[in-house]
Amino acid sequence: MTAVALRARRSLGTFARSDVAGPLAILALLVLVATLTTDRFMRIQNLRNLGLEMAIVAIIAIGSTLVILTAQIDLSPGSIVALTSMTTALLVTTSHVGIVLTFILMLLLGAGAGLVNGFFCSYGRIPSFIFTLATLSIYQGLAFYENGGTPIFGLTGLSEVFYGELAGIPYPFIYVVVLYAVAWAYLRYTRGGRRIYAVGGNESAARLVGIKVNRVRMKVFVIAGTLAAFGGLLMSAQLDSGSPGYGDGVELQAIAAAVIGGASLFGGQGSVIATLIGATIITVVQNVLNLHSVGTAWQNITTGIIIAIAVGIDMWRGEVGRIALARWGRLRPGRPGQEPPAADSAAGKEDRDRARAGV
Amino acid sequence: MNRDALWEAQEVTKTFPGVRALDRVGLRLRPGEVHALVGENGSGKSTLAKCLSGSYRPDAGVLLHRGRPVELRDPTRARELGVSIFYQELSLVPFMSVAENVCLGGLAGRGGIVSWRQVRREASKALERLGVSIELDRPVSELSIAEQQLVEIARAISNPDVSLLILDEPTAALGPDEVVHLHRVVRRFAQHAAVLYISHRLEEVLSVGDVVTVLRDGRVIGQRPASESSISEIARMMIGAELEEYFARSEKTDGGQPLLEVRDMRTPAIPAPVSFTVERGEVLGLGGLTGSGRTAIARAICGIDPLIGGELLLEGRPLRLRSPADAIAAGIALVPEDRKADALFYNLPPLQNISIARLDRVSHGLLLDLGSEARQAREVSRTLKLAPGAERRPVAFLSGGMQQKLVLGRWLFTDATLLVLDEPTLGIDVGTKRQIYAIIDELTGRGMGIVMVSSDYPELLSISDRVAVIREGRIVHTAARGGLTQSDLIELASSAEPRGTGR
Repeated sequence: MTAVALRARRSLGTFARSDVAGPLAILALLVLVATLTTDRFMRIQNLRNLGLEMAIVAIIAIGSTLVILTAQIDLSPGSIVALTSMTTALLVTTSHVGIVLTFILMLLLGAGAGLVNGFFCSYGRIPSFIFTLATLSIYQGLAFYENGGTPIFGLTGLSEVFYGELAGIPYPFIYVVVLYAVAWAYLRYTRGGRRIYAVGGNESAARLVGIKVNRVRMKVFVIAGTLAAFGGLLMSAQLDSGSPGYGDGVELQAIAAAVIGGASLFGGQGSVIATLIGATIITVVQNVLNLHSVGTAWQNITTGIIIAIAVGIDMWRGEVGRIALARWGRLRPGRPGQEPPAADSAAGKEDRDRARAGV
Repeated sequence: MNRDALWEAQEVTKTFPGVRALDRVGLRLRPGEVHALVGENGSGKSTLAKCLSGSYRPDAGVLLHRGRPVELRDPTRARELGVSIFYQELSLVPFMSVAENVCLGGLAGRGGIVSWRQVRREASKALERLGVSIELDRPVSELSIAEQQLVEIARAISNPDVSLLILDEPTAALGPDEVVHLHRVVRRFAQHAAVLYISHRLEEVLSVGDVVTVLRDGRVIGQRPASESSISEIARMMIGAELEEYFARSEKTDGGQPLLEVRDMRTPAIPAPVSFTVERGEVLGLGGLTGSGRTAIARAICGIDPLIGGELLLEGRPLRLRSPADAIAAGIALVPEDRKADALFYNLPPLQNISIARLDRVSHGLLLDLGSEARQAREVSRTLKLAPGAERRPVAFLSGGMQQKLVLGRWLFTDATLLVLDEPTLGIDVGTKRQIYAIIDELTGRGMGIVMVSSDYPELLSISDRVAVIREGRIVHTAARGGLTQSDLIELASSAEPRGTGR
């Protein structure tokens, strides 16, 4: 009995210290507020809509998380969504290409777009913020070019991809669960995943332990591009159309999901599960505001504030940790035999300066 | 006597985690006097300079300016009181012009509007005084290291109201003529201001200084008028007693088999061909001043810098290293000087820091076996005597010694046959140092070869089986253990080569 209680307490402690505890607590609070303020929130129909609404962003956010883990940023997914939705529409309507082939071609298109990003941001040494800002414009331009800027409506045979169900579960739910499970396993249980964390944690050290840093960086962009293309396909299926306007701003929501989930923009910190929670938080906030008939203006403002707070927590994490450590240290004074931490932060920097002193 | 000191430090103490960098240091800086400060690496010279320039705040003790205590909260406050410093690490803005960089501290002008004509005039005056001609409009990034250093010095002397000029290793990259010019400027400056001149080059110190203060382990060991002291006397003061039973290496068992042969190696940083051999079970120490080429040699062996001539043979087979990955695959591993910047992953737990270079050893096919990884890495951490709780703490909160053990452990985890250690015990406490020496000893006992770069002379002389002294990219002397004293080493590394600076 006590052993069970002890174990329960220990795993609770482990959980409280884990990366997802913070975002999950926020989500729980949100759900609580939502449930208490409107009885429409917890209805199955609403939760289902909520899930369908977030699926595309959530899928794209996997790619954004991988890119952010390597200390880079990808601003182009929204444009890749537009490009694939337009290309899909063209292929299906005017060229009468089959659905399966269209799917394969679109994923390749996304991978190619990601490859271009990845190549120039790694081997080409262009900062990813700048380069993907450029491709954001280029890919969207291509989407406009394809049909002279006119959306294409009335695709047939595609909507099953989005609206279909398996044993009562909508397909998008299944996509999200499967993709997140694969991404989680990839990061945790493969060498490639570990190397992503290594590159984001310390690029120089990664190089010196023999990791091919550029290859890792390129890979995450290819994955991000492919997932964005999948998002574009889903968008076309959902709306039976293609438009150069689709996906506008989706990259920012995906980045926000990762950051709210606790991914550090400095790289090396974050997990896809936390990102999924982050995406859920954004969608729940919007959903609740919708249910309360709050207008778009305030929805945008609220989302912005949440992002600002989340990024703030990321930036201030060091200080918060230091204060916590100082307090912890004071509470448990003078443990004999314990060496002083070479630590992080200002002290560590001074330490290094001192170490270099007199050279 | 006290009254005429322009700047004075009394009982200044500064402690860093695990190290007392300055221990009740007193120093009097008078106008009209060049005060030279010497000491080994880590003796506290630069820390003292940073206390005087407001970069560090002393934990105890006071700084006096014209006899009155002052608190230098930050560098700006120090600058207001007329402290001007030249740092050994260059702090120029690469894309700005020479003129802008020289005047960066206080751009001339009125009411927030910069007067560029005045800026250029001040800059050219400062450069003229140094006797150098560098185009004022060139961006600093296009200059050579020596020229950059001169621009940095020009900045330090550009303000005529300087009451204290601190020069921290100002001549590291300068040629003989430039050093002569600099010394002339320093002498002229000393007529109205106090000058603190920090250098490794003892003959230079004796030629430009009036008073020499020797620091060791953060304490003032002695002070002498420059005219009454000699290089050997100062060297003796710097090192204290000759080393006795520092660390006893065990006897080498299998000697003579060459592991790494370096033949006429040249790289962009080592223009003259360098040759040496590392035997199995041997520690080859590389000694010399910073910038002498020690680290450049280490980098080339580890595949970081490309070879432009000569060849490397590992166990008789020629090596072609295009990247660190190639070196690792060949069995050559680097423990870099700056652990935090170049070796540790703060975002990974300690055991994963150990396994990162050999993930294939803990994988089945594509997948990592986390259980087996933890087991195997823990085995390594046990051989290294990593404190039991340490493997669960974030790497950032481990002591420098523990961190270094992790990095060493990483290479034990691979099948490295040659280990390159760059300053292996920098910033590590004495107890852990001995443990690291014990690890080195054990590794060589297993037949591993080790190349060790170290500025810690007692360490270099007692851990290395052979020491090669590097100066200006060349091996100037090689000696077996016991064949060199610290004073020999200091003299070989720092002096000799006529530079035309002595009187």
